[in-house]
Amino acid sequence: MTFAEQFSQNFLEDSRWQFIATGLRNTLIISLFAVLIGIFLGFLVAIIRSTHDKTGKFKFLNLICKIYLTVIRGTPVMVQLLIMYYVVFVTVDPGKMIVAILAFGINSGAYVAEIVRSGIMSIDQGQFEAGRSLGFNYAQTMIYIIIPQAFKNVLPALANEFIVLLKETSISGYIGLMDLTRGGDIIRSQTYAALFPLLAVAVIYLVIVVFLTYLVGKLERRLRNNERS
Amino acid sequence: MSAVNEPVLIDVQGLKKSFGSNMVLNGISTQIRKGEVVAIIGPSGCGKSTFLRSLNLLEIPTGGRILFEGTDITDKSVNVDRMRQKIGMVFQQFNLFPHLTIKKNIMLAPVKLGIMTREQASLRADELLKRVGLPEKAEEYPAMLSGGQKQRIAIARALAMNPDVMLFDEPTSALDPEMVGEVLELMKELAEDGMTMVVVTHEMGFAREVATRVMFIDDGEIKEENKPEIFFAQPSNQRLKDFLSKVL
Repeated sequence: MTFAEQFSQNFLEDSRWQFIATGLRNTLIISLFAVLIGIFLGFLVAIIRSTHDKTGKFKFLNLICKIYLTVIRGTPVMVQLLIMYYVVFVTVDPGKMIVAILAFGINSGAYVAEIVRSGIMSIDQGQFEAGRSLGFNYAQTMIYIIIPQAFKNVLPALANEFIVLLKETSISGYIGLMDLTRGGDIIRSQTYAALFPLLAVAVIYLVIVVFLTYLVGKLERRLRNNERS
Repeated sequence: MSAVNEPVLIDVQGLKKSFGSNMVLNGISTQIRKGEVVAIIGPSGCGKSTFLRSLNLLEIPTGGRILFEGTDITDKSVNVDRMRQKIGMVFQQFNLFPHLTIKKNIMLAPVKLGIMTREQASLRADELLKRVGLPEKAEEYPAMLSGGQKQRIAIARALAMNPDVMLFDEPTSALDPEMVGEVLELMKELAEDGMTMVVVTHEMGFAREVATRVMFIDDGEIKEENKPEIFFAQPSNQRLKDFLSKVL
């Protein structure tokens, strides 16, 4: 078969490209909402943990956070996804997309939390004292002074975490969800040609990651305008 | 410029502070009246910075009381954040907010704490920038400034809250020698305008010329305090005599 024929067979016949398109859509939706949950959980946990480290408050919450971090980071994300689908949501079915979003979001939150916490701890104690000495309370000092600086410092690590997350969603097929990877695999199972569908899938992931990296680079440069040029 | 008849702003009663078993402040009592400029000197590790930082509770005392404008700020039920709004602080390391422009550094606290509208704070910031001689730096970031400029901005930032007293923790110790003068000059102007100031410093010239009272702290105690004329000319404490002979 010629190149054009192979292309036609894998993508055009029976509108097979739709597997890729639907899969891509699902992958993007899962990644986007998982990132939002990850950021929310991550910042929450990081703030609780660093507040505990700085002031000794939130002993109980800190313990819960530590258990969360240990369990999530100590087990494979695929096992977490399977547990979420076959155990947690065995009686109520909120839809596979929701299950995947929750599983990946909760997983990502643990990594985001440690990244953000390291960012908060890296800010000089003097910044904290300057905020407090002006009359800001603990929370205001965090919001107006510490978090903005911490966020800037951890942005590269955070971006990396989200790129990892995007690629990790490729295991969604294990709960029968058609993400990008599964979409390509379905084409392969129909045409018995592995090269084109899998190459297409790989290229799409690559393009998204390169694009994200470019966006983060731009954001980083914008945030860095306060450093000596 | 006697301040004896002025009201007491800060009344320190038997202040103690220890870190674990290490006693840093061993019962300090003194009163700071409105309009006074108190210079605190002493060997390094004597507790002078800890004393200053206790005055706005950046260090929590382990004993004694601190009354600020009549309120015991060591009382747990007192809102320390409200008290700190009236106590400006300037640090050795400036501690400007690197993610904000100079003008926003100055405006942040008055605006976010609801003391001024954005417009009022902006006018106040312009006024303060002019006062510290750096109006052209308004839109720049702290990293673009020299050490002396940073410290002048830090002073402006503290002044933006219209504090009743200003605490200076070795404000010139992190500066290159040629920048010390500009900061001391600004502090002198503040003093002449009647600002109440407590200054931990190694600048004996400043203590002698600007301070209304000089305090010598050693081993966590006030060993001697007096008007600068007498303090430097006729020190009575032996430790102070030794100290002065080394630094003068």
